[in-house]
Amino acid sequence: MLELRGVRHRYQGRVVLDLEQFTVPHTGATAVVGHNGAGKSTLLRLLALLEAPTEGQVLFNGTVVPRRSPASLRRRVTLVEQRPILFRGTVRENLEYGLRVRDVGRAAANGILADVVERLGLQPLLSRHRHELSDGEVQRVAVARALALRTDVLLLDEPASSADRAAAGALYRALAAERAARPFAVCIASHQLEDAYRWADDIRALAEGRLSPVTPENLFRVELPAGDGVKTVHVGSIALVVMTDRTGPAVVAVAPTDIFVSREPIPSSARNVFKGRVTGMAIEHRGAGVHVRADMGGVELVAAVTAEAARDLALNPGSAVVFSFKATAVRVF
Amino acid sequence: MDFLAEGFRRAWGLLVAGDSEVYGIALLTLKVAVVATAVSCAVGLPLGYFLATRRFWGRRAALTVVNTALAFPTVVVGLLLYGLLSRRGPLGGLGWLYTWQAIVVGDVLLALPIAAALSAAAVQGVDPRIRRTAETLGAGSWLTAWTVAREARFALAAVITAAFGQVVAEIGAAMIVGGNIRGSTRTLTTAVALYTAQGDFGLALALGLVLLILALVVNIALQVLQGRGHA
Repeated sequence: MLELRGVRHRYQGRVVLDLEQFTVPHTGATAVVGHNGAGKSTLLRLLALLEAPTEGQVLFNGTVVPRRSPASLRRRVTLVEQRPILFRGTVRENLEYGLRVRDVGRAAANGILADVVERLGLQPLLSRHRHELSDGEVQRVAVARALALRTDVLLLDEPASSADRAAAGALYRALAAERAARPFAVCIASHQLEDAYRWADDIRALAEGRLSPVTPENLFRVELPAGDGVKTVHVGSIALVVMTDRTGPAVVAVAPTDIFVSREPIPSSARNVFKGRVTGMAIEHRGAGVHVRADMGGVELVAAVTAEAARDLALNPGSAVVFSFKATAVRVF
Repeated sequence: MDFLAEGFRRAWGLLVAGDSEVYGIALLTLKVAVVATAVSCAVGLPLGYFLATRRFWGRRAALTVVNTALAFPTVVVGLLLYGLLSRRGPLGGLGWLYTWQAIVVGDVLLALPIAAALSAAAVQGVDPRIRRTAETLGAGSWLTAWTVAREARFALAAVITAAFGQVVAEIGAAMIVGGNIRGSTRTLTTAVALYTAQGDFGLALALGLVLLILALVVNIALQVLQGRGHA
């Protein structure tokens, strides 16, 4: 559906996005996770055809999009920004904006609006103006305004950042209902990994503008000491044993699937063994895996285990847990 | 003091009696000001939007030129235009020198930088998310511009008021290319200057008052327009 090829995007000379390839599949739900400033919002703006990349191409259904994207193409994609803004006028007028642009007839527009208003519980807000709404309500209206357009691609930048947990749940349920009724591609940028794991088919991690091979749990900035081979680096209160010839500032990562989880320390070849307590658990979208978050004395690590293993180990928030991984499992970027 | 009081009395008398000369001059001034404001805003507002929203090579230089032009002396504009419109000038064939159209052209040249520079500033003051949101909801260039303009409506109304204020109070160019011809190119400002010089203080004052009233009425009208449908 949407694809970025060889994209390098700069702001004031600084490369903020560097992606060899990035695809948003036809009917998939893609989550882009990463820290603030990782390039998620820039990526979504390029995918929304609002900006052209400094270098590289954007393709829509295999065709290269011109640098000044035609409105006809932009109408097939829409983006809800992280801090969305409403136009002056009522909530209803805001919801109608994109439909008017598309010359949707009065009756059809009313039907579509009734649908999204119901789904996102906006009925009591319809005649309000933007200054009469909370941030969470603005976000909900903005999502509804985008959903009403029934675009082929829906891009959401931290859609639940201003919402409380209940409102975020309602938002994701509305999205799921809409996707069940009509297949379309969704791409959501989020730093809430649990949300991403819960509903996305595919998760991509961005770190400093590049796709990272591991999701951004267990991603740390470190200073590598001089010397070859095995090194010890400090991450907060814990010491990681790393195998690398690199020195100086670097990012190290441990894939959650590379972490071995047990209740007690067990003899093994793993050079990294940390004792801590489980702080949270999240079931993956497909239900096969469980992400176990644990506090290792001020540093949070995430390990992925099978649902079966989690049951056998009787893991619960608060239980004591030991994470082990080899020095070679620590990847250096 | 008596002299001033006498001036006001005569001015009031002329206004109340509906003196044809006073009203003729006022009407011509209004016509010139409305046409010049409309033309300068029709060109200047889109130009301002373009300068504020498009990134192109030389944009900074263009903004500097427009901002510098804000301080262009009116007599210099009049002089240059005189050179262009005089019989030996490149636009002499138009036969516009000493006509109201020439005054309009001079006023447009003076009000255009105001319309462009101030509307660029007004558009730059609009949250950039408004433009992005309009675009991502599928709006084309014109609707996007209109959406941004709606958000900046107070500032843009002020731009129109400022352009009208410049045009209606302008004297240098009107004097040079209009020629201050009675019944044909005599505007309120040129008439005030003339009658003051001739010693007819009452008539000059009457015209000055009309000028003030005219400015007041237009400002009130714009404020009423701005006030419609707040939020």
